[in-house]
Amino acid sequence: MSIPELVVQNWSRLLAGLAMTVELTIISLIIAGMLGLLFGLLSVSKKKSLRAIALVYVDIVRGTPLLVQAFFIYFGIPAALGIRLDANTAGIITLSLNAGGYLAEIFRGGIESINKGQMEAARSLGLPYSLAMTKVILPQAVRTMTPALINQCIITLKDTSILSIIGIQELTQTGRLIIANNYQAFEMWTIVAVMYFIIIMILTKISKRIERKMSYGKSEN
Amino acid sequence: MGKVKIKNLKKSFGELEVLKDINLEVCEREVICIIGPSGSGKSTLLRCINALEVATSGTVEVDGNDITGAADKDINKYRQNIGMVFQQFNLFPHMTVLENISFAPVTLKLKSKQEANEKALKLLRRVDLEEKANVYPEQLSGGQQQRVAIARALAMDPDVMLFDEPTSALDPEMVGEVLNVMKKLAKEGMTMIVVTHEMGFAREVADRVIFIDDGFIVEQGPPQELFGAPKNERTINFLNMVL
Repeated sequence: MSIPELVVQNWSRLLAGLAMTVELTIISLIIAGMLGLLFGLLSVSKKKSLRAIALVYVDIVRGTPLLVQAFFIYFGIPAALGIRLDANTAGIITLSLNAGGYLAEIFRGGIESINKGQMEAARSLGLPYSLAMTKVILPQAVRTMTPALINQCIITLKDTSILSIIGIQELTQTGRLIIANNYQAFEMWTIVAVMYFIIIMILTKISKRIERKMSYGKSEN
Repeated sequence: MGKVKIKNLKKSFGELEVLKDINLEVCEREVICIIGPSGSGKSTLLRCINALEVATSGTVEVDGNDITGAADKDINKYRQNIGMVFQQFNLFPHMTVLENISFAPVTLKLKSKQEANEKALKLLRRVDLEEKANVYPEQLSGGQQQRVAIARALAMDPDVMLFDEPTSALDPEMVGEVLNVMKKLAKEGMTMIVVTHEMGFAREVADRVIFIDDGFIVEQGPPQELFGAPKNERTINFLNMVL
């Protein structure tokens, strides 16, 4: 069968796989965003103990492969605690923790890139630290972080393919299952690759637009 | 009663003792200029007054409130009455000029947005920048930015204004416009403490000039006295170099 024929024949399965990939990505990134913000804030705290917590988390995430993290969460933790974890939940936990670690570093870098004078100016007006952070520092930090944030989104989307190994039926796993029936590895992997490529290109285009919109005042004149 | 009372203030950064024993009382409506060589501790002294630097020992009272030992919540409250203007302006780049000025009163729920905006426009008129209300700071010159920064500090209706070398980062042709705004403020009776290298401004506007060197107040007095007939040798040397 030719590639177009294969696409037509497997369209609904491929689309379901892609939908699962996107769903995993979005849910994980939302959780990872919260984790990243939380641990990013901890890592710029004045308190050493809070910084240490963030450091340990980030080091563990960066110091171990995603695949090992997935196995640890899907097989290791349930074995130790005597619980059952379904693959999707384990996958979301893994991706969230993983991306959260990298996002924490992105948040830290973004916050630290903002001139110290901004915090001082806000505090000198009588604002508490929390308000100065949320209203003055973070809005500026997020702007400088935008390229790195988008990059992490794309990485996380691609990392979902690793979760095929614990049996989640996302796009890569769907491709493997189809190939197991029709043995057309070249054609099928081409289709799968193109599907990843298209969705990531769309994301890149959207992000470029967001980036342009975010530069101060310029686009509004 | 003094607006600002500093007693036995000491400040160290690690091993380095920057302020060694500062005693200073600033009265209401008084304009104080602090001069001295760089590294003498004058900016640190200013920053101790609103607790941007935490004093190592001693007390700083503003309006009768000791800010050195206060809890965070109280420090935030006290700071609302102490305006500060920075060398690098530190305007918020993601807000328009008007938002910069109304930001703190609105965020701290001291004024409604409308009240704060009206007040901000009034302040912009005072610093002669009414037409810039809706532009972003990066579109302003340094002198204009600093005038907005002064308006931003005034939006909190402070009792005391601190100026940390407000004209040092400016091109020479913009120094005058900022100093003029400060002069107007002084005339209106604002209590001001100004760290500056502008000796002309100190001479003309200050009620009292303080010369700081090596963490001590070496000499102080009315400008005619301190500039006209300095007594301490270090003051004489410093003035010889800058005048």
